[in-house]
Amino acid sequence: MSKKVGLYIYTGDGIAEALDIDDLVKLATDDLGLEIVRTHSDLYSPEGIAMVKQDVEKEGVDGVVLAGISPRYVYRAFDFPGVVVENVSLREMVVWSHQVNPDDENADKMKEHVQELAEDYIRMGVVKVQKNESTEPFKMEQVNQRLLIIGGGVTGMTAALEAAEAGYESLVVERESELGGWAAKLRKQVPIGPDYSCLVSPIAQDLINKVKANDKIVVKTNSEIARIAQFPGEYRVSLKETGSKSEWDAPVPLTDEEKLDEKGNELSAEDQKKIYDEKNEGRRHYMDEDPNAEICGAVVLASGWKPYKPADDEFPHLAWGDPDVITNCQLEEIAKKGKIVRPSDGREVKSIAFIQSPGGSKDDSDFPYASAVTSLVSLKQAKYLREDQPKDGRSYIFYEHMRTPGQYEYFYKGLQDDPGIFLSKGDVTKVEKNSSGGLTVNVDNTLIGGSISVEVDLVVLATGMVPTTRDDAVVNLAYRQGPAFRDLDLFGGYCDSNFICFPYETRRTGIYAAGGVRRSMTIEESMEDAAGATLKAIQCLKAAEEGHAVHPRTWDFDYPHFYFQRCTQCKRCTEECPFGALDDDEKGTPKLNPSRCRRCGTCMGACPERIISFNDYSIDMVGSMVKAIEVPDDDEDKLRLLIFACENDAYPALDMAARKGLSWTPLARIIPVRCLGSVNVAWVKDAMSSGIDGALLLGCKFGDDYQCHFVKGSELSKTRMGNVAESLNSLGIEAERVKMEQVAIDDYKRIPEIINGFMDEIFELGPNPFKGF
Amino acid sequence: MAEENLVQPDLAFIKGVMDAGGDTLNCCYQCATCSVVCPLSTPESPFPRKEMLWAQWGLGSKLAGDADVWMCHNCGDCTKYCPRGARPGDVLSAIRINAIRYYARPKALANILNSTGGVISTVITAMFAVLVTAFLWSRYTGQAFPIPKGTVVYHKFLTVVPIDIVFLSLAAFVSYVSLKGIIEFWGDISRGAGLPTSFNGHAVTPAWSELFPKYMWPAIKEILSHERFKKCGEIKERATGHIWVLWSFIILFTVTIVVMIQADILGNIWPNAGFETPLVWYHPIKIAANIGAIMIIGGTWMLMNMRRKKTAEGIMKSSTQDWILIGIIFAVGISGAATEIIRLINIPVLAYPTYVLHLGCVATLFLALPYSKFAHLLYRGTAYVYQHWAEDVKAGKAGFGLEKPTTREKM
Repeated sequence: MSKKVGLYIYTGDGIAEALDIDDLVKLATDDLGLEIVRTHSDLYSPEGIAMVKQDVEKEGVDGVVLAGISPRYVYRAFDFPGVVVENVSLREMVVWSHQVNPDDENADKMKEHVQELAEDYIRMGVVKVQKNESTEPFKMEQVNQRLLIIGGGVTGMTAALEAAEAGYESLVVERESELGGWAAKLRKQVPIGPDYSCLVSPIAQDLINKVKANDKIVVKTNSEIARIAQFPGEYRVSLKETGSKSEWDAPVPLTDEEKLDEKGNELSAEDQKKIYDEKNEGRRHYMDEDPNAEICGAVVLASGWKPYKPADDEFPHLAWGDPDVITNCQLEEIAKKGKIVRPSDGREVKSIAFIQSPGGSKDDSDFPYASAVTSLVSLKQAKYLREDQPKDGRSYIFYEHMRTPGQYEYFYKGLQDDPGIFLSKGDVTKVEKNSSGGLTVNVDNTLIGGSISVEVDLVVLATGMVPTTRDDAVVNLAYRQGPAFRDLDLFGGYCDSNFICFPYETRRTGIYAAGGVRRSMTIEESMEDAAGATLKAIQCLKAAEEGHAVHPRTWDFDYPHFYFQRCTQCKRCTEECPFGALDDDEKGTPKLNPSRCRRCGTCMGACPERIISFNDYSIDMVGSMVKAIEVPDDDEDKLRLLIFACENDAYPALDMAARKGLSWTPLARIIPVRCLGSVNVAWVKDAMSSGIDGALLLGCKFGDDYQCHFVKGSELSKTRMGNVAESLNSLGIEAERVKMEQVAIDDYKRIPEIINGFMDEIFELGPNPFKGF
Repeated sequence: MAEENLVQPDLAFIKGVMDAGGDTLNCCYQCATCSVVCPLSTPESPFPRKEMLWAQWGLGSKLAGDADVWMCHNCGDCTKYCPRGARPGDVLSAIRINAIRYYARPKALANILNSTGGVISTVITAMFAVLVTAFLWSRYTGQAFPIPKGTVVYHKFLTVVPIDIVFLSLAAFVSYVSLKGIIEFWGDISRGAGLPTSFNGHAVTPAWSELFPKYMWPAIKEILSHERFKKCGEIKERATGHIWVLWSFIILFTVTIVVMIQADILGNIWPNAGFETPLVWYHPIKIAANIGAIMIIGGTWMLMNMRRKKTAEGIMKSSTQDWILIGIIFAVGISGAATEIIRLINIPVLAYPTYVLHLGCVATLFLALPYSKFAHLLYRGTAYVYQHWAEDVKAGKAGFGLEKPTTREKM
């Protein structure tokens, strides 16, 4: 469908002074054949908006190109129904970042470069709008409004109650025979509100009563998830008795190692299928539909944590293995029963040493999975002993870190006030049996001064809270990519996708994690977390209803379209999708579940056949933008550099660099992309074949502390560009012409160095040999 | 290693510190603001941070061997700036009171002299002892008892000889107890600071010939001038009252000694040579004594007011022990002045009982020296001396005979 495109050039903010506006108008009307080209010195004012609106209404303009300020500064004022609006950044990307000093001897040359830059951006903007096709949201027939809540501890129960208050029904699945989880097994708990200075009675029973009394909540105890099939809005949940086997258990795909033979070569498809079938014997195919499944719209994962249990030979210097050296969870069990007694002989305990960090000579790290919670628990349990033995009970706490964040400072303060609780920083070097039948704890580098020893009846290790997702899939998804969340080892098994930017989000759309499974949390924090995750789940239901993406691209109604006739079943899209949105059939043809999709475009970038595109973001659209760049074929000074910049982090960094007056070479042309994962190598090849001399990809940081909104985009891109090197070489193009750089959003200072540095490398290489063909 | 480093928090010690005004002790979370704001704390051995933790841990003996406890003059800067309201200044006061008790022998006397009731009982007992002595003395002199006839002349009631019998034996006892405490304290602080010990475990001590000129004299100068006290931030004005009291003690002590020599020794050798008491008002000794009396009353009055004001401002707290010491000194001053005034007015029925009261107060003050807060004179003084000494030892200039070559070098 051809569009009637209107171009509006903003002439304020120094644009008119820096550029030849008439020339740009002439370009648009003569070369690009646009009928409507207007300039305005205050384009973003109500008058400017009215001008555009009038063209939309009277002239039938349905594609608007605003050549002015960066898209990040333009809000919804230009929101006209059915009209595609594209912002071309003349101010930041052209004028501010390329200021010409009139005293410079190369000023004229520079002005020419800048003018050409503006021209190219206008060409690219216009073609982008022209290639934008209208889009229809994917609407499900019915969106189930019930939430599945996995786990009936404080987090799960709070989630169910919060959902009920918001008017949503929920199904709570609890593995054990009773609700309550760990919180119900405590003698006392850390406070959940003022007064923070003392222990309080457990609140779990209160929550259990409320949950049981609520008619919007259905509880299934003694149950766990066999599988969760389908997608947000209509999850089909198969339950089973805890610990039992079911034909509906989610099948587990082969690991990378399992796909190889002894020599390390990949097995044939038949052999792989054979191993897969053996592995999943007795389990139904992941696409099979359980007729008895419970239907839910979205999931809150509140499966919590389990205590870290040291291995038998772990911590020998702490005498782990001695019956009187126990973990905090074991102590809680003893304390719940009555006065604290010694496991070895049942005698009442008069003194306990709480060890917060394994110590030894290694480092000052705490026990694995320890956190602020383990600090608070040690304080709490120190008080148990003082309650049991008010006269002569002595609780020692040896710590490397005493973490009592926020209001819990008052808890620390309150407990520290007890004259029988002794705290000191220090490295515990050895715990040993002593002649009086107790244990001697030796501590180095104490605050008291040097090394000290104390004799105690019991030693308690402040071991951590292991998220349930570390060792188990828990959610058991019947997905092509397998039942579990991916790459959780990045977070030590905690269930989270991008901790900083998207709390509660997991790498499976529609499943929101809360409480101890996400991070070790106190009861208070878990309850707050539960409310957050529940609201995210409700948001997801709304998104499924309206057919738009969930965070972070909530404005996207479009979704990927496949041209299946040319699909080679290579499975790259199904395997690379960071959210497991794609399932497939027996042959391997992908099947999209639009409500799982987050519109990052990774599938589009992955597809070697270029058959995956969005209507408003396509292979053809970006390819055409690349081709719209004018490449002079006879001027050695006018080399061209193409930059694909991630619009989440790299593009804002460019904007900020421009705003700060930093500049880079005017020979670079920047195309913002949804994610570097969506960059198809075809675009790079297009650029090379049209004579562009270099391509630079600016993406997010990846690795352990990745910053990618879509988890692996920049990392995938790096791999793909490595692969493209070979085919470039075969064409006689140096692989060095393509490069990927990692940029954090606050890296604006590095922008000129990165771009100009690469441009220098390109000048070293000289012009693209393909130029002019 | 386990044996020597073994710590066993003493819950009774913690309670003792908390009861003596250090009840905020456990608020400390070791941020070290106190050590930074303290005008007296040194970078080499900062206090009161470590003392706070030791006290939290009930390490009474470690604190007893900590000279820094006595370097604090309780100005209250730390208490003012403490972010947690742990009041380190008050805690250190409480620790000092406990340290005094720690070195006091017998402990029973310390318990008596640290409680208000105990002090009053002591005064009464002392008055009774004075009365008994006076009664026995009256048998010998033939004076009427309890009110001698004629104008008020106190040596009719008791001459200096029986007073000396009582007071000198008291002084001997107090000196013995004090010296014992000081020696033990010296050993503890030497070990606490990790100073080298001799092969049989004794703490190093300065040679007698060095002790006074090199270490005691500088300490005495500091004490007399209140050099350190004057560095105190929040409670500068406190130094004035304290210096008045200190100097009044020196004056009154001196005149007592002079009078003792004159009346007891010279007066006995040359009777009627003008040595007998009372002295005429313009006699230099009498003038000095009256100045001393004014200063002791004025000084304690200033201290009382300062304490009330600073307590109201929240800068410092005052414990029973603080008030007991001030109370006894004030009573000594007032009863002494009253004794003189009533004598001049010449009302025998009032004069002699007042005199007995005065002697009772003085005796109690005497006795309180090693047991009450008064002992700060002993231990802080010792800590001053020790500090000068320890500096030399640490610098390798003293200890184990090292001081001798240094002295020779200087000469």
